[in-house]
Amino acid sequence: MNKIVIGDNIVKSFGEGIEQRNILDGVSVEINEDEFVSVMGPSGSGKSTLMFALSGMDGINSGKVVFDNKDLSAIGEKQLSDIRRSEMGFIFQQPTMLKNLNILDNIILPSIRDNRKNALKISEKARTLMEKVGISELEKRNITQVSGGQLQRAGICRALMNSPKIIFGDEPTGALNSQSAQEIMDILSEINTEGTAVMLVTHDAKVAARTERIMFMRDGKIVSELKLPKSVGVNIDSRIEKVTAKMLEIGI
Amino acid sequence: MYNRIIRNDILKSKAITLTTVIFVAAAAMLVSLAAILVINLTGALDTLMEKAETPHFMQMHSGEIDRHRLTAFAEQNNNVEEYQVVEFLGMDGSQIILGDNSLTNSVQDNGFSIQSEKFDYLLDLNGDIINISDGEIYVPVAYMKDNTAELGDTAVISGKEFTIAGFLRDSTMNSSLSASKRFLVSSNDFVEIKDLGNIEYLIEFRLKDYSKIGEFETAYASAGLEANGPTVTYTLFKTMNAISDGLMIAVILLVSVLVIAIAFMSIRFTLLAKIEDDYREIGVMKAIGLRLSDIKKIYLAKYAVIAAAGSILGFILSLMFQGVLLENIRVYMGESENAPLAIGLGIIGILLVFLAIVAYVNLVLKRFRKISAAEAIRFGTSKEKKVGAKRFTLSSNRVFSTNIFLGIKDVLARKRLYGTMLLVLVISAFIIIVPQNLYNTISSKSFIQYMGIGSYDLRIQTSDHEKTDDIVQTIESDSDVSKYAVLTTKTFKVKTSNESGENMKVELGDHSAFPIEYSVGRAPVRDDEIALSAINADEMSKKVGDVITLINEGKEKELKVSGIYSDVTNGGKTAKAVFTDNSANVMWTIVCVELSDKSFVDSKVLGYSSEFDFAKTSDINEFVSQTLGSTINSVEIASYAAVAVALVITTLVTLLFMKMLVAKDRYSIAVMKAFGFTNSDIKVQYVSRSVFVLIVGIILGTLLANTVGEIFAGALISSFGASTFNFAVNPLSAYLVSPLMMISMVLIATVIGIARAGQIKISENIKE
Ligand SMILES: Nc1ncnc2c1ncn2[C@@H]1O[C@H](COP(=O)(O)OP(=O)(O)OP(=O)(O)O)[C@@H](O)[C@H]1O
Ligand SMILES: [Mg+2]
Repeated sequence: MNKIVIGDNIVKSFGEGIEQRNILDGVSVEINEDEFVSVMGPSGSGKSTLMFALSGMDGINSGKVVFDNKDLSAIGEKQLSDIRRSEMGFIFQQPTMLKNLNILDNIILPSIRDNRKNALKISEKARTLMEKVGISELEKRNITQVSGGQLQRAGICRALMNSPKIIFGDEPTGALNSQSAQEIMDILSEINTEGTAVMLVTHDAKVAARTERIMFMRDGKIVSELKLPKSVGVNIDSRIEKVTAKMLEIGI
Repeated sequence: MYNRIIRNDILKSKAITLTTVIFVAAAAMLVSLAAILVINLTGALDTLMEKAETPHFMQMHSGEIDRHRLTAFAEQNNNVEEYQVVEFLGMDGSQIILGDNSLTNSVQDNGFSIQSEKFDYLLDLNGDIINISDGEIYVPVAYMKDNTAELGDTAVISGKEFTIAGFLRDSTMNSSLSASKRFLVSSNDFVEIKDLGNIEYLIEFRLKDYSKIGEFETAYASAGLEANGPTVTYTLFKTMNAISDGLMIAVILLVSVLVIAIAFMSIRFTLLAKIEDDYREIGVMKAIGLRLSDIKKIYLAKYAVIAAAGSILGFILSLMFQGVLLENIRVYMGESENAPLAIGLGIIGILLVFLAIVAYVNLVLKRFRKISAAEAIRFGTSKEKKVGAKRFTLSSNRVFSTNIFLGIKDVLARKRLYGTMLLVLVISAFIIIVPQNLYNTISSKSFIQYMGIGSYDLRIQTSDHEKTDDIVQTIESDSDVSKYAVLTTKTFKVKTSNESGENMKVELGDHSAFPIEYSVGRAPVRDDEIALSAINADEMSKKVGDVITLINEGKEKELKVSGIYSDVTNGGKTAKAVFTDNSANVMWTIVCVELSDKSFVDSKVLGYSSEFDFAKTSDINEFVSQTLGSTINSVEIASYAAVAVALVITTLVTLLFMKMLVAKDRYSIAVMKAFGFTNSDIKVQYVSRSVFVLIVGIILGTLLANTVGEIFAGALISSFGASTFNFAVNPLSAYLVSPLMMISMVLIATVIGIARAGQIKISENIKE
């Protein structure tokens, strides 16, 4: 099985001199190219920092990040941007969208940068995606004129536009009610079964229970891991139980 | 008590605070300079004219003179306080050699006088009445200014040697607009050289009551006294003396108004941005029941500190720069007695700037009241109305690259914010273009058409009408001459309602050969038509189509006014007609000549000068530049200064705006970076924003400059006689070089201003 992302002994610290603290303290992770993983851990344990490190958005102090056989610590800002734009997708807790643009424009923004000539095709693809996540009637709306759940779906469409190899989601359901959260998870599962790796950060055992591997973080380290069968089936409740049990065990 | 907050705030935004201080300083400096210059100019001018006892009325006259009649008139007229006739010994420039320089090329009527007895004194550079000894000569200060003569040099006048003992200020002829220049020699020396030139008379009066000058003028004219030459009054002397510095002050005032507007705009921009940033905090403070006036005080105090620092800096700068700008006044008019008053007025001007800023900040802060605590806490921003540009979408955009699209879209979406920047750029473009166009216009050859002079290559002027035919014959047979016209100036009496006639100089001849600009109507073509200069038409309150009656040797001649034109020569009171007349005395004749090949002008001037030594031949360009030279110079300096000021403003404002935008847009920048936009993508977006705003700014600025600016410049020009006015635009500099300069400065400032954008960390701005 090919690894899409390999993090090897990542150390990331903030602050200087005696103030310096290792926020990531020798973290190693590997994610398969069709895997659906999640990261859990207390607030401040370094989950977001890990995601920023693995996606090349933030530099690291030592260790190594390899994405799709490319060593991210060895390449420059331009190529990093290129990789993020064309090979990764991101979904954040807060809707990270530009106020100036309407929903459709926000969705096509990263893909149209290199491909202006195909604007029609790109818009078409965006509409297909929007239909799939159930927001097709919102394309002309301003981002302040839709609900949080709808915005989050638009964010997923944006993440999918370039057919990425992996989707990073930092608490993509954190601001949503459980109904919306489940719908988002349905969409993400479907994307995953179609062959895209997904890595989620979450506080929610119900969300984590739908992934096939859960990494638990504390104080900048991965302290434990829980593997579940890939297909969720009807066992969702027992999966949730397993996750909560694990959380209790390591005291999160 | 606010000290700490203010200090921290200022330290946190050093660049922005500094820029604001610089704008305030520039505005304060200009206001103070204008005040200082106005006071010094009026003061120095008054001092000069008081000490010299400038005549209230002066009639220049060439030809026979009847002193008894004049004395009788002066004694009879009860408004006359003093009267004198000054002899002015006109001499050809080639006969005057100062040091190593001869005045051959001078278009001025150079001449010699002795110190006056009763008034109209010639003063030395200390402002004292000159006491001259034999063998000494005093030279008009203009020749010191242009380095023609130096103290102690030997002057050779028609072969007789003098020592240049000093330079003189002449309250009647100082100005370059005055055609004559007086040299001062002792009475003994005057007698010696008297036969070497032509004597002209300056018939001068001081009045008991100057307000009755109009009556006096009519009385003089109706008495039929000597009048073969221009008439000048005290007011006109004053205007001529003040014109070049006055023009400079006007330009400074214009620029200072604009810079103040810009200072206000920057304050508004930074203040609005700051309020937006602090929106949530302000809302929270309001919510927990803090008094708004307390928060307001903090902002107000900050800007009071900035305004005070800027004003003080500006005042110091104005004291430093005043020397350069006062130089002309010092040389031509001397020190002003009002110098301390000038500083005082400068301080008052600066206080006004300071108070205006504080009041303005207070006004902008009125917004505080509108901030809703609930809204501020819920949304963190004010719910700005989204306007327009809804159709301008990325999905339908086919024209611009994505980055350029995003730049333009941002501008369209935040019109208020960019509107401020746009206004500044419009003003900058205006400041760059208007003085430049003004300079270009008054230095262009066609500008003389506004002076009442047609567009030809050289002019030959003579008062010796018996020899006019010689000149005409020579010109006629000269194959290099492509066109010529003979214009003869005669005096006629105008019949007015109150019986007493007034004299008017009428230029007769073919006025279609070298046409001038008419502000209303057209040139006279029929025998019964006449065109009036603007000042004449004004004084006689005549419009086009009105009829005036000239009296000549008892006979009346009715003429219809065909047009009105601007004239800055001969005191601005002239007229043009085409009828033939053999009766009246010719005052002077001008032969206007156009050459088929302009490169001959210099050699022709030399040739005709020696051939017609009784006449005055001058290159028309030289004539214009010597007449308007110092005015043109002042405007040129002002226009360069304006370009420099505007470019500095453009750069600083762009820098300021870009820095603020990047600070405000950290989040959007982080988002775009997260989704794979590179730093250079971001750079292109910001450059597109500023270039887009700049292009709109340049277009609007240029349009405004050519409409409003033209009207404004026209008002300035009309102050010295010209009434219609169109900019002569140098397209290369106005439409290419100036915009290019602005674009390069904006590009540089944008790139420097957004340097921080590259350092914005995604992880620090997208917190999860
Ligand atoms: N720029 C920074 N400078 C200093 N410390 C930082 C910085 N960014 C994050 N930290 C610290 O690093 C630690 C980990 O932060 P991170 O955002 O990764 O936590 P998290 O696990 O995502 O928490 P949460 O669940 O609350 O989102 C925190 O203690 C935080 O204070
Ligand atoms: Mg986090």
